[in-house]
Amino acid sequence: MSADLILVYNNLVAILSLVALAGAVGLLAWRLVKGPQVAEILGPSALWLAWLVAFVATVGSLIYSEVIGFEPCRLCWFQRIAMYPLSVVLLVGAIRRDWAAKYYALPLSLVGLGISVWHYLVQAFPALEGGSCDLNNPCSSKYVDVFGFISIPFMAGSAFIVISVLLGIYVNKNSFKEETA
Amino acid sequence: MGLALIVLLAFSIAGETGLADEIGFGEVTVEGDNLPFLADPSTADPALGFTAPSVSGADWNDTPVAIEADGRPKIVIFLAHWCQFCQNEVPVVQDWVDNGGLGSDVDLYAITVLTNKLRPNWPPQDWLEDEGWTAPTIMDDADSSAVLAYGMRGTPFYAVLDGDNVNLGRFSGEVGINGLETMKLLAERSIGG
Repeated sequence: MSADLILVYNNLVAILSLVALAGAVGLLAWRLVKGPQVAEILGPSALWLAWLVAFVATVGSLIYSEVIGFEPCRLCWFQRIAMYPLSVVLLVGAIRRDWAAKYYALPLSLVGLGISVWHYLVQAFPALEGGSCDLNNPCSSKYVDVFGFISIPFMAGSAFIVISVLLGIYVNKNSFKEETA
Repeated sequence: MGLALIVLLAFSIAGETGLADEIGFGEVTVEGDNLPFLADPSTADPALGFTAPSVSGADWNDTPVAIEADGRPKIVIFLAHWCQFCQNEVPVVQDWVDNGGLGSDVDLYAITVLTNKLRPNWPPQDWLEDEGWTAPTIMDDADSSAVLAYGMRGTPFYAVLDGDNVNLGRFSGEVGINGLETMKLLAERSIGG
């Protein structure tokens, strides 16, 4: 892939992550303003939406490593361990219209979010990782830096945030009531 | 429609900051045996007293540079353009040199290593020129010959050599002014001795 195409891809994923973050903020605000009944408006679509975010994040990270050639660092792998199962668990949950899938997916998403936050901090403050750059593939090194603040853990963290908001607030027994009745 | 707008926006941003397809590598010749790797910086350097191989190459202007047994003690710093510790250390080193910290008895050389155009702050020559870098610099090759020759650990990485290219000590990480002064003393002590 040419350097210009990589740059386009970086920008595209960066914009998507900003859209995801804005979506998470919007969903939170909607819930705060309108109350718990908003979950029923989205209904099972919330699970499909969470799956879509996890799927795009999974495919996006695979494009980075398998097509572009960015070698994932140790913390990147930990985030992948959290994200990749989400795209399967949420798909199964959405197909089965099983709101209880959140109990399997939400912990994964929250753990992944914690790792993303730590990774982002390591990139901002490399001394957290040690005093020098590891030869092999230091987590403090940024492959992507869009707008001066969007790096790969930022993108992953955005995905984990919107998935967590959807699962934590919009996926529950009541919102699936008609489906399960 | 929304997706089309996002793609269009991504293309327009890329157009403003497009990467040139330059290369940050050079041709490097190594003569002599490679030093063993500095595995653990908290223990003694296993290559203390070993003669470092001669490394020759060129900077980005094709100016030939050789790090060899030329009778003068030297400090060699290995820098990776994407490494934030290197990005912090370069201005410190350059200020130290500009203020006469290096003196006249010790030489300073640099080797740009682990160049990767997919990583930030590429190519290394633009970064170093922006920092006003003045030390003679070799651009390592794609096989990391200079990295292997000096048994480099994490960057920034320093090797202090006497006039016969004997290794007086190797250090990994940011060292700051105090570390630079210590390495200079180490190199100066080898003179005449």
